[in-house]
Amino acid sequence: MIISILMTVGIVAGIGGFFALLLIIAESTLMNYGECTITINDKKKITEKGGSSLLTTLNNNKIFLSSACGGRGSCGFCKCKILKGGGPLLPTELPFLDEQEKKDMVRLACQVKVKEDISIEIPEDIFAIQEFAGKVTSIKDMTYDIKELTIELTMPKEIEFKAGQYVQFVAPRYEKSRQSVTRAYSISSNPDHKKFIELIVRKVPDGLCTTYIHDYLKEGDTVNFTGPFGDFLIQDTHKDMIFIAGGSGKAPVKSMLEYLKAHKSKRKMTYLFGARTEKDLYHVELMKKLEDDLEHFEFVPILSKPDEGSKWSGKTGYIMPFLKEFIGKPENTEAYLCGSPGMIDAVIKELHNLKITDEQIFFDPFS
Amino acid sequence: MKKTPQEKKIQQNLQPGVITLTGFLGNDHRFYQDIIEEDKNMLIELCITPDEVADRLQYFTDLAWDSYDGPIIIDEVYQVEYKSYRGKIPCPFLHPGLFPKGTITLRNLFCQKEICWTPLNIHMIRKHCFFEGKGTPHRIEPNEIIEILFCKES
Repeated sequence: MIISILMTVGIVAGIGGFFALLLIIAESTLMNYGECTITINDKKKITEKGGSSLLTTLNNNKIFLSSACGGRGSCGFCKCKILKGGGPLLPTELPFLDEQEKKDMVRLACQVKVKEDISIEIPEDIFAIQEFAGKVTSIKDMTYDIKELTIELTMPKEIEFKAGQYVQFVAPRYEKSRQSVTRAYSISSNPDHKKFIELIVRKVPDGLCTTYIHDYLKEGDTVNFTGPFGDFLIQDTHKDMIFIAGGSGKAPVKSMLEYLKAHKSKRKMTYLFGARTEKDLYHVELMKKLEDDLEHFEFVPILSKPDEGSKWSGKTGYIMPFLKEFIGKPENTEAYLCGSPGMIDAVIKELHNLKITDEQIFFDPFS
Repeated sequence: MKKTPQEKKIQQNLQPGVITLTGFLGNDHRFYQDIIEEDKNMLIELCITPDEVADRLQYFTDLAWDSYDGPIIIDEVYQVEYKSYRGKIPCPFLHPGLFPKGTITLRNLFCQKEICWTPLNIHMIRKHCFFEGKGTPHRIEPNEIIEILFCKES
């Protein structure tokens, strides 16, 4: 009886193993897509063995589309136009594409498998995105939950970026993470300084990458990132600029202001920075100094809940009611926002009330 | 019972250090489907559906979001605060899309009990009937739902 059970189990296991082997052989022979050519913007061609995702194939060739989820199909950042090849649109892509994008043949590069020659279109800026390695030369506490990092570039040694852009920082696997994670952080330094970048990072509760940066990263450590990404940029106009930020949202604004100062901008600029208490304020001296250096710049910190008994004499409350005071002619104003999604949403509603249109409002895509 | 590769992947995503620092299982060592099964049965006993729980959480979330960055009193019973952070996280159950990072804290001023959830929790309850494992900061005990979230109606 036992022998016949064991024989049956053995036969079933043997048949299973045989089919598994058959599948492996079929995958490596029948599913061999051979060499596939990817034509980019009708000019650059890369040839790679087929079978990987388009995102991976491009990454292998040092072309970095933005991606916050590492190709899992959950962030929807790695969009590109596929003019030829790529197969049908997959159900996993549908939630990320609107009707116009579907008509324009936009796809998610992480979901498209390279099985044939493909022709794609990507923004020219993407060719400027590179992988960088750098050494952390300084980590400063800005507040109890915000740190500022300075990273000196080691490979390559210089970066070209525009004020307002961000990098994707790679936190390696560490004690509390099971895999490396990538997160986007705005660059806070002046783009004229090409040999280093600064980042301002607020600790997010339960955040894998911010916990690494706050609790594990040390001065002297080597870090890796890709970039620069993003189109949250200073508009090339003469309009008045109102910057509105909170928390670590100061990063891209600081980069913009330092750039505008270096280039002796004459534009009228107002910077409203919202925080809860005085403990949440930082870089105040730096901003006061910018008031001296920039001809038409005013820095206005606003506290929503100053501590009882504090000597705070500045503005108190939320930012929204103060916007009216600082917007002269709405049609001649551009608003640059950076902060928590809640703050951005509330500020946009108030800007609309003040007749500032969406075309005049700029903010980070990952807020 | 043998688990499919997808089920194994989901169980892995729920562990600490994969999507979030503390993960979604807390000190609950059961397979996620067993946690779901037990909570589903509790909801049936309570005559409430995952959609009704998710709708209720969404109701408080939306009102707290509109109040922006500070506690708000809702229906004279609930003190709710929404803290939002930059960035988004994926669903551990491999659903497409990203969910905003943020924490909503609700204190029922009658029973003085407090619960905490994230936008991702609302999705996981609605689509997967997953309330997280025991011991996580965002676990909502199904048997406390009626007392805490439906105070006025009950």
